[in-house]
Amino acid sequence: MDLLQRFAHGEIDAFETLVRQFQGDIYAWTVRIVRDPGVAEDLTVETLWRVYRARHQFRPNGNFSAWARRIATNLAIDHLRRNRPEQSFLAEPAGVPQPDPVVQRENQERIQQAFRRLPAKLQVAATLALIEELPYDEIASALGTSVGAVKLRVFRAVRILRKHLSQAGVRPE
Amino acid sequence: MKGHEDKYMTEHDDRQIRDALKQYCPPVNTELRRDLWPDILRKLDHHPVRVPWYDWALVGLSAAMFLAFPRLVLVFAYHL
Repeated sequence: MDLLQRFAHGEIDAFETLVRQFQGDIYAWTVRIVRDPGVAEDLTVETLWRVYRARHQFRPNGNFSAWARRIATNLAIDHLRRNRPEQSFLAEPAGVPQPDPVVQRENQERIQQAFRRLPAKLQVAATLALIEELPYDEIASALGTSVGAVKLRVFRAVRILRKHLSQAGVRPE
Repeated sequence: MKGHEDKYMTEHDDRQIRDALKQYCPPVNTELRRDLWPDILRKLDHHPVRVPWYDWALVGLSAAMFLAFPRLVLVFAYHL
């Protein structure tokens, strides 16, 4: 019986081998989304625990890594939803940007804040596509959706950011 | 002409936002610094996998049916 079959049958040794083999990949994926190493570690533990709990749903001829990554993505989206900043982004009226380091730092904070306030699904798609520059098909697989849907989410994320930043008088350089 | 300019400005702004995101969202270290297996094992110990109550109810119901109507075992075995 191969490793994945043994895992599906609940053998803890097989699961341990899989954890050691894939924990780095799952962590790397999660930290790219949540961008916080401590949170990513916790979510990786939670992901692998859920993987073990759901082992009966796993088909041994399936792709373990893709399956675990999808669970990790869903957990990361839930985390972003729960930790979305409450405060309003529209702090100041529109103004002309200044090439001042202080203003630039403020702009940086506003851009980051606006980004964190995006709906979780849009934020994840934009993070993976625009910041991490991952292929759309890889993102679509992890999100359990189509490439077209990912492109639409990225498009909507950029439009929302543009609107919010414009209303706050921030012009990205 | 105006529409063309608007479209150009929109695409230009979008590109600027994409660039700003890359610039202002710092890269994160994607290397895992420690082995997470002990944490997972602890979590498995503290949260043992529970069989849901409806599964137990189903088992109990089936057992009662087999006791009451032993011939149902044959029907059940046939469908397995």
